[in-house]
Amino acid sequence: MHIPDGFLSNTINLTTVGLSGLTMVVALKKARQELTEKEIPLVGVTAAFIFAAQMINFPVAGGTSGHFLGAALASILLGPWLSFIIIALVLILQCLGFADGGITALGSNIANMGLIGGMGSYLIFRFFQFLLPTNRRGFLAASAVASWFSIVLASLACALELGLSRTSPFSLVIPSMVGFHALIGIGEALITVAVLSAVLTARSDLIRTWRMEKTASELGQL
Amino acid sequence: MEHSFLDRYSHLGSVIHNLDARTKVLSFLTLMIVTVLTPPQCWPVFLFHLGLIGLTLRLSRIPVRYVLTRSLIIIPFILMVSLFVPFLPVNQPAGGYSLGPGSLLLGRTHLLVFWNVLIKGLIGVLAVIVLSSTTPFPRLLEALKKFKVPSLLTLLLGFIYRYFFVLLDEVLTIKRAVDSRGYRGRTIWQVKTLGRMLGQLFLRSYERGERVYLGMVARGFQGLPKTITPSRMQGADYVFLSAFFSATVISQIIFR
Repeated sequence: MHIPDGFLSNTINLTTVGLSGLTMVVALKKARQELTEKEIPLVGVTAAFIFAAQMINFPVAGGTSGHFLGAALASILLGPWLSFIIIALVLILQCLGFADGGITALGSNIANMGLIGGMGSYLIFRFFQFLLPTNRRGFLAASAVASWFSIVLASLACALELGLSRTSPFSLVIPSMVGFHALIGIGEALITVAVLSAVLTARSDLIRTWRMEKTASELGQL
Repeated sequence: MEHSFLDRYSHLGSVIHNLDARTKVLSFLTLMIVTVLTPPQCWPVFLFHLGLIGLTLRLSRIPVRYVLTRSLIIIPFILMVSLFVPFLPVNQPAGGYSLGPGSLLLGRTHLLVFWNVLIKGLIGVLAVIVLSSTTPFPRLLEALKKFKVPSLLTLLLGFIYRYFFVLLDEVLTIKRAVDSRGYRGRTIWQVKTLGRMLGQLFLRSYERGERVYLGMVARGFQGLPKTITPSRMQGADYVFLSAFFSATVISQIIFR
């Protein structure tokens, strides 16, 4: 899903750079307010984990390649703003250091995976967390749904950009991108749930959305 | 533990390696942006840019083979586009190939779309590989800081890089443990174990990462890795920067 240089039109590139840049300004402001020093290692390890996992690209039929995104994992662990920053940084690092994703397409890549994949999946997660029972099983189910959507929505955005830039026709790029990512999304959900359930068992204090859920349910019992 | 570093060859000594990181970031960024803005018909410009990258590569003494292997990263996208190209609307046909009963016509625009994507992607990838293989990561962070990138971003970028190796070490430890117990991870029934391994990997890396961080803070860490010699823009930097800039500009004037 990392779009290289030259695939997108300059209009699309400029629009998404603006969109990602604005979100970054807000996200940095919010993150500075809410990030405690104790959380720095967690943010770092989450980002490194996502960075490492994204490097494992597996080819999908039709010439595209898929990979673990981690946007939902980050937003469930650390909230939407830090998740956006983490994904953006991972993408910047992959682009600057390892030539994965073009420098002029960076705005689009950040918008697809960080904004739509990360912040979008946070909203979906919160919605399902509200619907489902406030226990371990409900929490993990909500995170599975959110992580599936994170990758499907991000691939849809990617396909739309490629279509709008006339690099590939809509009628082909949308079904193939979204279709394959609907399958990859299952893998994404499995990985996210595996990591979250381990953290929930051993160090549930590390998960922000779980802390929020716990305080909410404790308040309800009063 | 033994593993190769991500910015391999970045610690070699050469004219290019000795340049300030800011020089290299600015030069390659300009090159990439100019490349992307060039219309696909102007192939001499692309050729010239490839030559420029080749020259830098020659001066930096990085193995060419390594750079070429790394640049294969764009292949999946190239394949994707090449698959879609025959379905774009045709104007002037330039050739065709037949697939059993139906035949497909290749138009000039088709080839142009494909060429556009191929050459711009390739130049971008090569430029980034040369940049990262000639600049050690702490230097790159230092340059970003001097470009006034927000400190939270450089701090976290540094941590991603630092913790990547913590993670890699834990992966190798877990892998050794698993290998010694005869685990293969081939059948679907072993997915659960694989999931547990991932969860464990995350937790173990976090706990070690926390200790690493506390150790760094105890030794006076304040947000960026410290370099013994502070980087300075020197004569060579200005020469390289102005040569690179004027080369890209001249290529636009002459070859367009």
